Amino acid sequence: MIHHASTATNIAAPLGNEAKPGHGFLSLQGLSKRYSEFVAVDAVDLDVNQGEFVSLLGPSGCGKTTTLRMIAGLVQASGGRIVVAGRDLTAIPPFRRDMGLVFQSYALFPHMSVAGNIAFGLEMRGLSRSEISNRVTEAIALVRLEGRENRRPSELSGGQQQRVALARALVIRPSILLLDEPLSNLDAKLRDEMRTEIRDIQRRLGTTAIFVTHDQDEALTMSDRVVVMNHGRIEQTGTPEDLYERPRTPFVASFVGRTNRFSGTALGRSVKLGDTLVHSATEANGPADVMIRPHRITISTGSAAASGGQNTLSGIVRRMTYAGNLLQYDVLAGDLTFQVEEATLGSGRALAPGTTVTLSWSAQDTLVFEAKP
Amino acid sequence: MEEKPVSPVLKVLAAFGFLFLLAPVLIVVPLSFSNDVFMSFPPSGYSLRWYIAIGANAKLLDAFLFSVKLASLVTVVNILIAVPASYALIRKAPFGADAIMSLLTAPLLLPTIVLGLALLIVMARAGYLATPQGIFLAHLVVTLPYALRVIATALSTLPIAVEEAAATLGASPLSVFFRITLPMLMPGIVAAAALSFLVSFDEVVLSLFMNGPKVTTLPVELYHHVESRADPLVAAASVLLVVFTLAVVIIVDRSLGLAKTFVK
Repeated sequence: MIHHASTATNIAAPLGNEAKPGHGFLSLQGLSKRYSEFVAVDAVDLDVNQGEFVSLLGPSGCGKTTTLRMIAGLVQASGGRIVVAGRDLTAIPPFRRDMGLVFQSYALFPHMSVAGNIAFGLEMRGLSRSEISNRVTEAIALVRLEGRENRRPSELSGGQQQRVALARALVIRPSILLLDEPLSNLDAKLRDEMRTEIRDIQRRLGTTAIFVTHDQDEALTMSDRVVVMNHGRIEQTGTPEDLYERPRTPFVASFVGRTNRFSGTALGRSVKLGDTLVHSATEANGPADVMIRPHRITISTGSAAASGGQNTLSGIVRRMTYAGNLLQYDVLAGDLTFQVEEATLGSGRALAPGTTVTLSWSAQDTLVFEAKP
Repeated sequence: MEEKPVSPVLKVLAAFGFLFLLAPVLIVVPLSFSNDVFMSFPPSGYSLRWYIAIGANAKLLDAFLFSVKLASLVTVVNILIAVPASYALIRKAPFGADAIMSLLTAPLLLPTIVLGLALLIVMARAGYLATPQGIFLAHLVVTLPYALRVIATALSTLPIAVEEAAATLGASPLSVFFRITLPMLMPGIVAAAALSFLVSFDEVVLSLFMNGPKVTTLPVELYHHVESRADPLVAAASVLLVVFTLAVVIIVDRSLGLAKTFVK
C-alpha cells in the first residue's frame, strides 16, 4: 500500500505545461447531463492543467454543481468523457476515482471524532496504522486544528468544521480536489480568511483544484482560471483579468463585476445610445449591447477637457450613496442614467444630488457586444 | 434566555389532563396491595398476598416468559427486515416505492379485528393456528409497519451528502452502509426496536385469535384470568407490567437516548 501512496505523491507534483484541447491533466470532453426534460450540462469541454486552480462560476441552475458531481462520479454523465491523467474515468464509480470532495454542508461524519473523520479515507485505502496516524497528524497541522483531534464535529464552529472537511479531502492526496461552494455557509469575515487559506494550502501541495461558486469575488480572487457557465454551457474560460477586462459575451460582462448596461446601435468604433454618441475601441455594427463599468467612469465637477479617445458627458447627480469604501452616484446625462463609483479617499468630497458634473472614461472601457439576431 | 411564565390556568388544565389519563392506572396501585379476595375499591385491608400469588401461578409466569421471548424474536426479525427494506425503498427509490411503502404500512390502518379474522382464516388453512409460528407471524404483521415507518423516516432525514463524502473517500457501497449509514441510523433502530417490543408485548386482539394451550401471551392469560375470577391478582400483575415497561424504556433511554430519538 506504500506503493499507492507514492503514486499519489507523484501525481500531485505540478508539471506546469499548457493544456491543449483534450490534453489537460483533467479533460472534460463533450460532457453532458440530460434529465428527462432538462439539459443540466450541455457538451462541456474543459482542460485543466496539473496544479491549476479553476473555478466554475455561474448563477444557480447553470450546471456548475452538476459538472462537479459528474467529475466526482456522484452523477452519471449522459454523454461525453471525463479523463484524468490519460485515464477515462467516465464509467468508474466514485469510490475508485481518487478525488477529494469538500461539500457546502461539510458532510462530516457526526459519529466520528475529528481524527476519525480525517482517517476514514486512509482506512478505506488499507494503510497501516502508523502511516494513518502520521498523515492524520500532518493533515491536522495543515488546517491548524491541533488539540481538537478528539472533538466531535458538532463541537466545532462552522469554520473549524470546514477545515476538517478540507483536511479529510486532502489527506488522501487526491488527484483532484473538488470544492462545492465550500465557503457559502460561513460569515463574511471567515469566508475571506478561508479563501486565502484554501488557496495557500492548494498552492503548497500543488493539488489540482476545481472550485464551484456563484460568487464572482471568490472566483476572481482565488482562481488561476475561471469558467463562466450559463444554461449548462460554458460562456467563457479565461484568467480573472480576461473575464473582467475582455468579456466575450454580455452575460459574462454583467455577471462578472457590476456594469452600466445600455442598448444602442454600433457604428464602427462608436455607438449611438439614444441621442448620445460614445466611443469604443472595438469595431462593431448594428444593434448592440453596451456596458461600462461604474468604477471606470471618472466623475468631476465643472467641464473637464476631454483628452484623445476619451468619452465626455455632462450630467446631474441624482442620487449619492455612501458605502464606506465607495461613493456610488446615479448620474443623469441626457436621457441615460449612469452608475458611477468613486473610491473614498477620506478627504470628504461627496457630491450632493443636483450637482452638475462631467463623466469621462476611455474608449476601451466601452464594451460593445453586437446583439445576436 | 428568559422563559415565558406558565399561566396558572394552563397548569390546572395540564394537571386535569394528566389526572384523566393516569387516574385509572393509579387506582390499580392500591388495588394491587389489597387483602381482599375480590376486587373492591377501596380495599378493606392491605397486604402483599396477590404479589405472592403471582409467584405461585405457573400459568401466568409461563405466559410472561412466552411473551418476552415472542416480543424479543419479533423485534430482532423486524429490524432485520425493516433496515434493508427501508434502505431499498428510500435510497434506491425503485419504481413504485411509495406504493410498496403504503402496502407494508397498511396493517396500521386496518381495524385489528379484521386483521385478526383474516389471519385466523389464513393460519387455519396453513395449519399454523395455535402454534408459536402462527402467533409470531401475526405479531410480525402488526409490528413491522411501526419499525418500517420509524426507520424509513430516520433514514430519509440522514443527509445523503455524508454518504457521498464517504464514497468519494474510497468507501465501497457496503463500507458506506456499515461504517456510515448504520451508525447514523442507530437511534432510529433503537426507537423502532423499543416500539416493536412494546407493541408485540402489549398485543391482545391478534393473540386472542391465535392463542392455544401452549401459546398464550401474558395479556391473553390476564384476560382469561379476569374472565373467570375477580380477585386482585390482575391488579398486582398490572403494576408489575407498568414497572417492567418503564424499566425497558429507561434502560433504552439511558443507554442510547430515546428522548433524542423521538424528539429530533
